[in-house]
Amino acid sequence: MSFIKDAQKILQQNIREYGMYIALFVIMVIFTITTDGLFISSRNISNLINQTGYIAVLAVGMTLVIVIRHIDLSVGFLAGFLGAIAAIALVFWHLPVYVAIPLVLALGVLAGLATAFLVAQMKIPAFVATLAGWLGYRGALQLATMGTGTIVIPDEVFNAISNGYIPDIPDIGILPGVHKLTLILGFLAIILFIIGAINDRKKTQAYNFEVLPMNMFILKLIFVSALVGYITWVLAGYQGLPWTAVVVLIVVLVYDFITSQTVLGRHIYAVGGNPEAAELSGISVKKLTYVVFASMGMLSALSGILFASRLRSATTMAGTLFELDAIAAAFVGGVSAAGGVGKVVGSLIGALVMASLTNGMNLMGIDISLQYIVRAVVLVAAVIFDVATRNRGK
Amino acid sequence: MAEATPVVEMRNIKKSFAAVRALRGVDLVLHRNEVLGLVGDNAAGKSTLMKVLSGAYIPDEGEIFIEGKKAHITDPMDARRLGIEMVYQDFALANNLDVAANVFLGREAVRAQLGPIGVMDNRYMEQETQHLLDRLKIDISSVRLKVERLSGGQRQTVAIARATAFNAKVTIMDEPTAALSVAAIAKVLDLVRELKAQGCSIIVISHRLEDIYQVSDRMIVLRHGRKVCDTPVAGDIHEFNERVVAYIIGARDDFAEGAVD
Repeated sequence: MSFIKDAQKILQQNIREYGMYIALFVIMVIFTITTDGLFISSRNISNLINQTGYIAVLAVGMTLVIVIRHIDLSVGFLAGFLGAIAAIALVFWHLPVYVAIPLVLALGVLAGLATAFLVAQMKIPAFVATLAGWLGYRGALQLATMGTGTIVIPDEVFNAISNGYIPDIPDIGILPGVHKLTLILGFLAIILFIIGAINDRKKTQAYNFEVLPMNMFILKLIFVSALVGYITWVLAGYQGLPWTAVVVLIVVLVYDFITSQTVLGRHIYAVGGNPEAAELSGISVKKLTYVVFASMGMLSALSGILFASRLRSATTMAGTLFELDAIAAAFVGGVSAAGGVGKVVGSLIGALVMASLTNGMNLMGIDISLQYIVRAVVLVAAVIFDVATRNRGK
Repeated sequence: MAEATPVVEMRNIKKSFAAVRALRGVDLVLHRNEVLGLVGDNAAGKSTLMKVLSGAYIPDEGEIFIEGKKAHITDPMDARRLGIEMVYQDFALANNLDVAANVFLGREAVRAQLGPIGVMDNRYMEQETQHLLDRLKIDISSVRLKVERLSGGQRQTVAIARATAFNAKVTIMDEPTAALSVAAIAKVLDLVRELKAQGCSIIVISHRLEDIYQVSDRMIVLRHGRKVCDTPVAGDIHEFNERVVAYIIGARDDFAEGAVD
């Protein structure tokens, strides 16, 4: 009896987890049909990845902020401001790009620590503290760009981050016109995924813990492999893997590892689930608040860099409403507003869902006012689905 | 001393909150492998006394000895280092984490260190948790179940198991049976007996006299911040109940002279 109950619970958990992937898949299929395949074209998928990147990295950071029961409204204009600083560093201070980028990331960390000081030390609600940040960074962005207006960035390396693609290996006569390094990387990713999944399953079984039934496990392997394989093929048909995808993948992999495998990650979720219990277990809630906001600040800086790179310039309005897109992406991705629940990979999928909607509706020529309403409906639907499946699981 | 050194000895503990004298010089002794019941009306000082022992409060006066050595307990981590574990009434566990994660919360097993970040050894923690649950005869289908999916009784047993998991010298339980069903109460009391059988020393705070009667070797009654009774638990339950209630409401007092402060 308890076995059947557990099986049901596992299934329900998986439905929760896979619901987002299914939603993304359905949205992509619908747009592919309504745009006669334009949506799934190599060029548009590359474009979609570059559009998603600067929101996705914010959504990853926002996931942790919401998990520890806070919010950060300042990230949009902080990204815009730090993007402007990156442009100024490159254009006016003549700093090389490999100095400018770490400098801006470090400034992001400092900004995050300042927010954490207000929240953890001064006990100001995060909503208020970061609303102040929203105002302050907006002013700072306008100050930074006041004399010059839009700052055009001539640096090719910097601009390649959001417009360029990874280089290819020299042509060896096979598969002309296809990006071979992208194919090789995609193939390696699939192999690593399968080996990892099988190893994990074996070890888990060796310790007598439950695993997915064999048929479900094989189905999962085939589905993920096919999806990665197809996207790899699509990207390889154009110019290959965009650098933005590399950046976002690294960020997501690192954050996924930290949240799921490390003591730091465990403590972040413990604080989100029950701050008093965490504190009584010797976990410093204050310290973790600093860490989480510092990471958010760094990712805001990264977002600002990605966006400035994409536009090849810093503009006076850069970063406007990024914070709300990031928060929406996190909620669509299964993060709970009550704290303690949500995965960074989910938020990445959430960001892809929201960006796909914008991208697809733009291709269809749907009016911007209707686009907002559609995205509102999707946001609400995602959260309703989340709440409904959570209650059913109990 | 003729007797073996007590595990815990608290001497003349005083603690005031502004004008309220919560503890007016309380002595408490806990012997090895003993279950001590701590009872009293609301605001009698039970929880305050235990919070002093577990480091949540610093007493204004008085001394604490752990296994005969004078202890300086200024925060919960000090207490934990000395082997004093407290099971809190409501906020013991993180409901969004699984059973194993809760048992090891704050002392995760690490298999590799990447600078300041430790990589957890999840399988070791899950295995050890399973052994712990087996040893204490706690029936939970999987250590990977999230705590929010457990019943109230199961949560309480997990909270207690967690407190005793790391060779605690003393385990303090604050109202472990409050807000539980009858069946769940029986399970928690079984667990207390099992722990005693395995050599633990335990202090149980409870409003429920029948629980104290069932599991305790000895009992202390507090009233208005003073100890009014310190007696072995024995005899008929009805007679026991009547006697204890008399102490709780102030009709009897064994330490009346010592009360003058």
